[in-house]
Order: sequence, then structure tokens, then C-alpha cells
Amino acid sequence: MDCLDLLPLFVTNIRKIESGSGPARFRLMMSDGLHTMSAFMLSTQLNPMAEQNLVAPNCVCLIKKNVTNVLKDGRRVVIILDMEVLRPAEEVPGKIGDPTPYVEGELCQTKVAPAPPSAPSRTLQPQNGHSIPVSKGPSRDFAKKAPSTPGGSSKVVPIASLNPYQSKWTVRARVTNKSGIRTWSNSRGDGKLFSMEIVDESGEIRVTGFNQEVDKFFSLIEPGKVYYISKGTLKIANKQYTSLKNDYEMTLNGESTIIPCEDTQDVPMVQCNFVSISDLETRDKDAIVDVIGVCRSVEDITRITTKSSREVSKRTLSLMDMSGKVITVTLWGEEAEKFDGTGQPIMAIKGARLSDFGGRSLSALFSSTVMINPDIPEAYKLRGWYDKEGHALDGQSMTELKSGGGGGVNTNWKTLMDVKMEHLGHGDKADYFSCVATIVYLKKENSLYQACPSQDCNKKVVDQHNGMFRCEKCDKEFPNFKYRLILSANIADFGDNQWVTCFQESAETILGQNAAYLGQLKDSNEAAFEEVFQQANFKTYIFRNRVKLETYNDESRIKATVMDVKPVDHKEYSKRLIMNIRKLSAQ
Amino acid sequence: MANVYESPKARVNSSMLPQYAGRPVCLVGRVEKVHPTGKSFFVSDGEGKPATVELNEPLEEELSGVIEVVGTVTNKGTVIATTYHILREDKGTSFDLELYNEALKIVHDFSQYYPFEVSMSA
Repeated sequence: MDCLDLLPLFVTNIRKIESGSGPARFRLMMSDGLHTMSAFMLSTQLNPMAEQNLVAPNCVCLIKKNVTNVLKDGRRVVIILDMEVLRPAEEVPGKIGDPTPYVEGELCQTKVAPAPPSAPSRTLQPQNGHSIPVSKGPSRDFAKKAPSTPGGSSKVVPIASLNPYQSKWTVRARVTNKSGIRTWSNSRGDGKLFSMEIVDESGEIRVTGFNQEVDKFFSLIEPGKVYYISKGTLKIANKQYTSLKNDYEMTLNGESTIIPCEDTQDVPMVQCNFVSISDLETRDKDAIVDVIGVCRSVEDITRITTKSSREVSKRTLSLMDMSGKVITVTLWGEEAEKFDGTGQPIMAIKGARLSDFGGRSLSALFSSTVMINPDIPEAYKLRGWYDKEGHALDGQSMTELKSGGGGGVNTNWKTLMDVKMEHLGHGDKADYFSCVATIVYLKKENSLYQACPSQDCNKKVVDQHNGMFRCEKCDKEFPNFKYRLILSANIADFGDNQWVTCFQESAETILGQNAAYLGQLKDSNEAAFEEVFQQANFKTYIFRNRVKLETYNDESRIKATVMDVKPVDHKEYSKRLIMNIRKLSAQ
Repeated sequence: MANVYESPKARVNSSMLPQYAGRPVCLVGRVEKVHPTGKSFFVSDGEGKPATVELNEPLEEELSGVIEVVGTVTNKGTVIATTYHILREDKGTSFDLELYNEALKIVHDFSQYYPFEVSMSA
């Protein structure tokens, strides 16, 4: 507090502190007329002043030199090195003003600026002179917060400069994302945590608070607001939990402070590194990316039961950006429930996970931030583009989920010959294609297997031969099982044939019966069971297949799996054939 | 007149009729109007062009929708029907006449790939 220099203060109280060894110390309580502060110590060379009553309660003095120490527990103490008595106590009529104790810690952190001495205002605004235009109004959160450590005059540093080797810092940042409280319970006990991401002009960082810090700070933090944060612990970032660009992440500890900041001008809203949808193809599966686009369509919300038997809401939507490409985005839980896709809003997601489901698709994670019509330049650009031209585009989808009635503009039609000629599936990732083909062979042997009866578990069970069946995955034994289909088939078109594997849904479609019934039939009526397979043979469908080169012990083979089976839409098929014929003849 | 049932019948539309004078054809079109006598009716093909179909016996039923007529082309460019059947629109998917016409054109433009003119052995 260099501003104490040359500040006339008057002494309200002096206390002599005896110390066993060494000279006594005098502790002073000083006032500036508005507030009192008791953390003043007279340096020993000035002891005589106190002993000779030159410095006595009610005298007015001028501190000419001082040094401020910060104690281990964070309290500040001003050591007076040189002081001049302006008015001796006898000449001062009485207490000046009606000072109240100055509570340290309610002061906002400020940049160290050689500020002109200014008395702390009653509403405790940051002591500073020039650079930060702080509003003078009282901050509403002050009353809420019990300061654990005094504000002090630490520098405000950029987030990008935070590192584990410096402890005295303060950052001024906006909270872009605040998670809910997560609790856990394991052998070592219980705990809770919450995390948030903060951003300033220089960068962003992830902040986590555990247990007590959850109680202290969770309700104080509002996403979108700016805070001064200091004294967190920095450590190397665990990239598993965050995609933020920072080598470090912060953990709040007992000494950390979070103080709301009124001035938010310079602090950016959010830092996003948007990837164009067409580029997502080049990114790796499971990459965490930021995307922004126009939400063209939204599906209804559905409820899914997860592996851990939790019910969760799910909603998919399609997002298109200026690359003209479309991708399917999946939202979960609360985000799914509150999402409103009316009016084709601009949607930005920070920290979505890229998956290779259906080729390429995006999923919002617990840690993702979903923004609708965000107030950022990219959003305005998108809106303008979409209103002018984008809305008319059909858009090519990166997610090959919906082949919508035989195929929209998006379907990747191939003949079985093409699959071999073009070496589909030989790349790093699987290839998806659609074809019209006829079933020419169905393998009925080993088409059914005994699976774990638990919902969501389809692992093959081991027959214990005692009436019980064991599932290794669930680590349980059951008195029953459910039949599931794995159908090996050969499909053919005019040019080539292909061995494919059909799982439950597609197999049931092809055979026209469900697995349970077929299992029954197999056990009781072999002839009828065979008949099902006979009837299913030589039927033509639209197959949506996935091909991938798989390697088993030095041998590489293309494995084809049927993702979806649909009856042929003859109109669509005819149109496509006519179009292709005309195209070929024009070449 | 060649026995219509024993020879291949080219599928045609209205504009092709003049080229098939005296030959058996199969014409698919939408019924537009039935002559009051019931002995002829007018159809329009997938291109919207008209054709006249004449009958040996007057009609005994209501005709509407898409109809497939098998018969012989006269010198006047009309078709004398040997048989017809109505493609019912209330059953299954509706018949796309325009798409049919496109397919028809392909068959005629690339007739070398569609060798239908193999006569049945006597």
C-alpha cells in the first residue's frame, strides 16, 4: 500500500506488545477519518516516539515511509519506518470522524498502479487510479462473500502466464462454463467437485473446486460473469478432462479468492477455435472440437437407458455451416431438454466430441458449452450467409445415419463391384455405402447365440450345464438367456457378390421374424426353422453397409456389416438409374 | 392383323405411335375423356401428349386413372385396343407416369441394350 505514504492518519489507539527477547513493539490502530485499521506496527527505531508519548491516541501523523508485509496467513501489516507527528494528541479535540473498522479482503484486486492516495470509499471499490474504468456502484455480491483472504494489491496477470511456480497472482476472467456439482463415493471416502472454465484476453484455463471450495464458491459463480480469482493451485492439465488450450489447470484451495468484478469490457465472452464441418472429416475420432453452424433441423427428444441403467434425455439435430456440409449433433440431458431449435438458430458448441459414428458426428459432453445465437462475429456471419444462400442448399451430411427413404442427396451409392474396385474399407476408418442387392445365401447354422438376459448386455453367456448361464461381462449367473441373431449372408448384384454380417435388427428384418421366436423354432421345429430361411432367400433390399479392413494374426480381410436393411424404393431407384444412364451417355 | 398376344409389343408413348402403324404396341396413359358412345376414349401419356383408343365393344365400366392398353396402331395413329387394364391407384404406390415415360425413352434411345424384339417361337 504505497499510497499510505504521505497520507495523514490519526492514531486511534496504541498498544505495546512485549516480546520476550528484543525490544517491545508498538501496535497502532490508525484511522483516516472513514476507516480504522489496526495492523500498523511501529518500527523499533521509532519506539521512542511511542515511549515518549509523542505518538499517542488521537494524534495526527503523517507516515513518511512504510513497508507492507504480508503475513503467512495473508494478513497485511504496515511497518511504519518514518513518521511525523503533525498534531500532537493534546491538540486534537477528539476523535475525528466516525471511523469504522476497515475489513480487509473486500477490496477488489487491482493492477499495481502508482495510484494517488485515495481513501477507500465506503463501498470498497478497488483502489486504483487510471487504467481500469471501474464503476463506482456497489457490487451486490460483496455482502454474500466471506473473504477468506484479503485482496491485497496483487497484480492482475493474464491467464496465459499462470504457472505452478508463482503463487501471488490474480486473474480477471469471465466464466464461460460452469459444471454441476458431481459427487463421488469410493473406498477412500466421499467427495464433491465442480469445475468451470474461465477466459480472458490471453487465454483460457480450467478451474476445479473440491469439497469445501464447492461450498464456498459454487453458488457465487455465475456463468458469463467476470471475477477476480487469485491464489489457486496450478498444475499440469489432465487433458483427458478438458480440451482447453492451456498446459495447466487450476484447483481452488483454502486460500483462493473469487471476487466479482464489475468491469467486463476487455474480457472476451468465450474463446472458441471453430472447425469447419467439412474439416471434421480430417480430424481424429474422439477429438474435442468447437463448431458453429446453423441448426437446420431438430429431432424430437427421446429417452435412453444407459449401461448403468440411468435414464437420460437425448436429442439430435443437424448443423450446417458455410462449407455447405451438414453434421449430426447429439445433445444429452438438460441441454437436450431445453434446446429450442425453432427459427433455425445459430448454434455453437465448445468442446464437443467428434465421433466416427455414421462417418462423422458430434456429441455434446458434460463439459461442453452449448450456445444458441451467441453474440460473436462468427454467428453473425453465419446468419447472414444462411439467410442469403445457405438456406437453399441441400447440404451434404457427414453423418450417414439417415438414408431417408432410399437416399437423399447424401447417400453413398455403390455397386458391389465398386466396393472391391475402389478398395473401400482399406483406409484408416471404416467406409459406409448403400447398395441395392439380392440375398443369395443365408447361413442358418450358428445364426443364433445365447446372450446375457440383462438389458443392454448382449454378451454371449457360457452354459454351465447345471441350468445356469454365466455372463462374464456382468459377472453373474442367470437361469435363462435371450436369443440374439448374428446372420451371415451373401448378397449379390449384377456385377459381384459380398459376404456380410447382419446383427439383430437387420437380421430380424431379413428373416421376417424376431430372434426369440426363431430360437424357439430352432429348438422345436427344425423344418419350420429352415422354411424361414428359404422364404427369406432371393429377396432384394437396399443395404446400408459398413466395410473395414480387419487384421487377425497377419491376415487382413474386409469385414462387411449390415447397418440397415430397407425395401427397395423403386421410384427412387428408377430415377437414379435413369440419371446415371443419361450421365454415362453424355460422357 | 398380327396376333397381338403372340408377338412382342413395344411400349410406346403418343409421339411414337406414327412409327408403329400396323404393329402391336403397349400404351400407358391417363384417361382424359370417354366418348359418349363408349367406343373410344382419349388418354394423355407421360409427356402430356394425347392419344385415341378405339374399342371393338363399347365400354361396360367407368374408366379413370392410369390405364395400360395393348393393341394395334392404325394408319390414323390411333390404337385399336385388344385389351386394357386399369392401374388402380388405391392399391399400393401410385403409378408415376412421368417416370415411366423417362424409362421408356431410355429403352428406345438405347434399344441395343434392350433386345425385346426376339419373337417367340411359333
